[in-house]
Amino acid sequence: MEQPLLELRNVTKDFAIGGGLGLTERKIIRAADNVSFTIPGKKPTILALVGESGSGKSTIARIILGLLEPTSGEILYEGKDVRVWLKRDRKAYRRNVQMIFQDPYGIYNPFYRVDRVLYKAIKKFGLASSGNEANSMVVESMRAMGLRPEDLLGRYPHQLSGGERQRLMLVRMLLIKPKLVVADEAVSMIDVSLRCIFLNNLQDLKDRIKMSCIYITHDLNIAYCVSDDMIVLCHGKIVETGETKPVVKEPLHPYTQNLVSAIPIPDPKKRWKDTVDIGDVTFKELRSEEGCIYSHRCPHVMPICKEENPPLTEVKLGRRAACFLYR
Amino acid sequence: MQGLSFATSAKKYLMTVLKTPVRIFKLNNKMRVGIAVLSIIFLIVIFEPVINGFLLEGRHPLSVGSFKPLLPPSQEHFLGTDILGRDVLGEVLHGLRYSFSIGIIAGTISTAIGIIVALMAGYKGGIYDTILRTATDMMLVIPMWPIMATLAAYLRFMSIYTMALLLAVFTWPWAARTIRSQVMSLKERPYIDLAKTTDLRDIEITFEEILPNVLPYLGAGFATAVVGAIIAETALEMVGLGPGNIQTLGTLIQWAINFGAVVMGNWLILAAPILFLVLVFISFNLINIGLDEAYNPRLKKITGL
Amino acid sequence: MDPILQVEDLRIYYKSIFGDIESVDGVSFSVNPNEVFGIAGESGCGKSTLVEGVLRLIYPPGYIKSGKILYENKDLLRLGDEELRRLRWKELSYIPQGSMNSLNPVLRVEEQMVDSITAHTDMPKEEARAMSIARLKDVGLPVEVARMYPHELSGGMKQRVIIAMAILLKPSLVVADEPVTALDVVVQKSVLQSIANLRDNYGITVIFVAHDLAAHAEIVDRLVIMYAGKIAEIGSVYDVFEDALHPYSKLLVAAIPSIEKEAVEGIPGLAPSPLNWPLGCRFHPRCPYAMPICSKEEPPLKEVRQGRYAACHLLR
Repeated sequence: MEQPLLELRNVTKDFAIGGGLGLTERKIIRAADNVSFTIPGKKPTILALVGESGSGKSTIARIILGLLEPTSGEILYEGKDVRVWLKRDRKAYRRNVQMIFQDPYGIYNPFYRVDRVLYKAIKKFGLASSGNEANSMVVESMRAMGLRPEDLLGRYPHQLSGGERQRLMLVRMLLIKPKLVVADEAVSMIDVSLRCIFLNNLQDLKDRIKMSCIYITHDLNIAYCVSDDMIVLCHGKIVETGETKPVVKEPLHPYTQNLVSAIPIPDPKKRWKDTVDIGDVTFKELRSEEGCIYSHRCPHVMPICKEENPPLTEVKLGRRAACFLYR
Repeated sequence: MQGLSFATSAKKYLMTVLKTPVRIFKLNNKMRVGIAVLSIIFLIVIFEPVINGFLLEGRHPLSVGSFKPLLPPSQEHFLGTDILGRDVLGEVLHGLRYSFSIGIIAGTISTAIGIIVALMAGYKGGIYDTILRTATDMMLVIPMWPIMATLAAYLRFMSIYTMALLLAVFTWPWAARTIRSQVMSLKERPYIDLAKTTDLRDIEITFEEILPNVLPYLGAGFATAVVGAIIAETALEMVGLGPGNIQTLGTLIQWAINFGAVVMGNWLILAAPILFLVLVFISFNLINIGLDEAYNPRLKKITGL
Repeated sequence: MDPILQVEDLRIYYKSIFGDIESVDGVSFSVNPNEVFGIAGESGCGKSTLVEGVLRLIYPPGYIKSGKILYENKDLLRLGDEELRRLRWKELSYIPQGSMNSLNPVLRVEEQMVDSITAHTDMPKEEARAMSIARLKDVGLPVEVARMYPHELSGGMKQRVIIAMAILLKPSLVVADEPVTALDVVVQKSVLQSIANLRDNYGITVIFVAHDLAAHAEIVDRLVIMYAGKIAEIGSVYDVFEDALHPYSKLLVAAIPSIEKEAVEGIPGLAPSPLNWPLGCRFHPRCPYAMPICSKEEPPLKEVRQGRYAACHLLR
């Protein structure tokens, strides 16, 4: 069997809140709960990690990037544990696993010009052997991404638009050529008309440099547009996986169904027909310990749902859901 | 790319660092005034020997009996003379030189220690953080004044450097604390994550990513440290606990009180040092506030200046 | 029926060291009673500034250069402070951007609502309390919410509390600026439906400002598309989505990713900077149908068909 590019095995991450001086109660928030999935090695894929806020998707992103340690579980990159990579072969891991984050302003150090994000990467990863080579690499890569070096280089971050800054991050990817990039809400802070350009650039990179991508978002419209496969998260647990199109067109898990039915469609002829019950959006929820993660809101809830946690099972070929409806 | 020498990269770093204040200097009135006044004071301090040489015709400002005592202000003696026959303006400029120097040196040492500890404490946490927090807590709990006074009295004769060092040792945690909280908040910024994924080491991140963004606080911290040091030193002198071989503005104030200058109508010898001290404080504080406003533009609207 | 609000040639500029920033530059439209009127556009187009101007919430360095804002035939720009204060909250209500995060964290929901009632009317406290609870019910919140603190509520609930507060005194017009931007998709749906409900069950007119065109498609009756401080198109939501007149509107609708679409096309180029509006039609540098005249003359906003306006030289 071919070795997957990335494999997560039973990754769990707990955060402790409060309980400092014995004045407040110490609460454990389980951001990621027994998460396991793989990214295949042979063909570059774009995998969408979809979920609402609090679903744990950003936590998983940071764990994969090595910015956060999991409470338990393993993350294997090309078969080797990430912890081992970071200890013995850190530069290689960093070179191969990169990130694109949401905030196109915060990602740049306001003290320096934007060129620095490109040149620093070239320097740190030894991508060029001379200053001239570095310069020509930068110019070529920018042109390849449809950006004009004359307009952008030498500027400070606040002088560029959000869209330009995010696309410059893609130029950085073109230079570094990582095998995997983790993009967390990469387009949510840029204008709609520019989003497609960014997403098209991303898919272009996937073909050009054989780069896989984990695209994290809460926006199913974008996930549908850009990804090949999809994983749906709810409160830190995986509830459904499969190829993107079928998951969105025929969702299996009730949570996914709820999510899909709430997507605003940009077509006034296709408006929502149902209304959201206030019960769906009630008070801040405290995690229920036993039972299915969605049992308190599920329209198809059965007695067993409150007692046992449904395992992720293969319902149809290539499609899995964690729901007792499909036992 | 490996061949980039330390000197070249240090120079580039310095250039970027120096360019930032210039960027904001253009937009801020308060900083301009503060820097202007400070520059004048700085020039006076540097050229004090020359100025005094000229004014006093070669006599040392503190030599007793150079002139007739208790002369009122006149064209030859702008601020008159004191009870021991010394030109008041000459004394004040001389004292300013020492007060200012001690303040700057103490401020520099204090800020230098402060930054290093704060950067380590803020970024790496762990034992560095423990050291800083213990030191700061000690400063808060243990009364510094009596200890400093005792030490000052014990070391009867000091150079300005020893004095500055003494002051710095007792004041560095304050600056460090402010910088540390800045560092801790900067640590959470997305560009730090980007730096980590670009395989920058912790040291590189601390100095290249965090330090430049902490500089404005450094400027403010330095200004505060200098003002604090001058105040502490003046206070020591005023109660007679200052080292006997250094004459600062504080010393002058003490002499004025001791020799009953006001009673004799020679209030200038008390007012002049105070006035110069106030000028120094105002100029540093203006720079402080100006820096603050430049980095928090909203403040400008509120103060309306 | 007469429009409830009519804006005529409104210009809102900001003073800066570079000269005047022409944020809103000659905008005219009218809002009918009992409709949800959408104002859409990307960042920098001026929509937030526009509604702040309509409510006279522009502070220096911004200023209203010229124009008329007729609310029930009174020009809001000529009203005195006292009259304006009386109109605010009772007839014109505002839900600013990010307002769900500006609930007072140390007061219970009910207290905040009662405070705003007693600040604007002479109603006794008991009556005010009863009215607050009634409003909470109106937006679909359970009565328990009244005694809770803001931090105990989820994002969607906080936003509904804000809506409840905005309709406390039964205003005729509510202006909501990006009310659902920070919310999860299911919560977004419920809040959008609350807003549509204001029109359906309470006869309130809503001006809905958002950059997300899909949200407009779900609840809005008529809509304005703004670009670079000017209006590109006005029309019913069906008209704009299916058969847009202005090239920008057409491209914008085509650029929205959707699960109903297989591919999307972006709009090349960048939104222009307010310091440097292009000459002639502001969209011409990015427009695939640009003609020579487009770079010289600004197209006026014309009524092309009944109720449909567009500013484009193609529509002569």
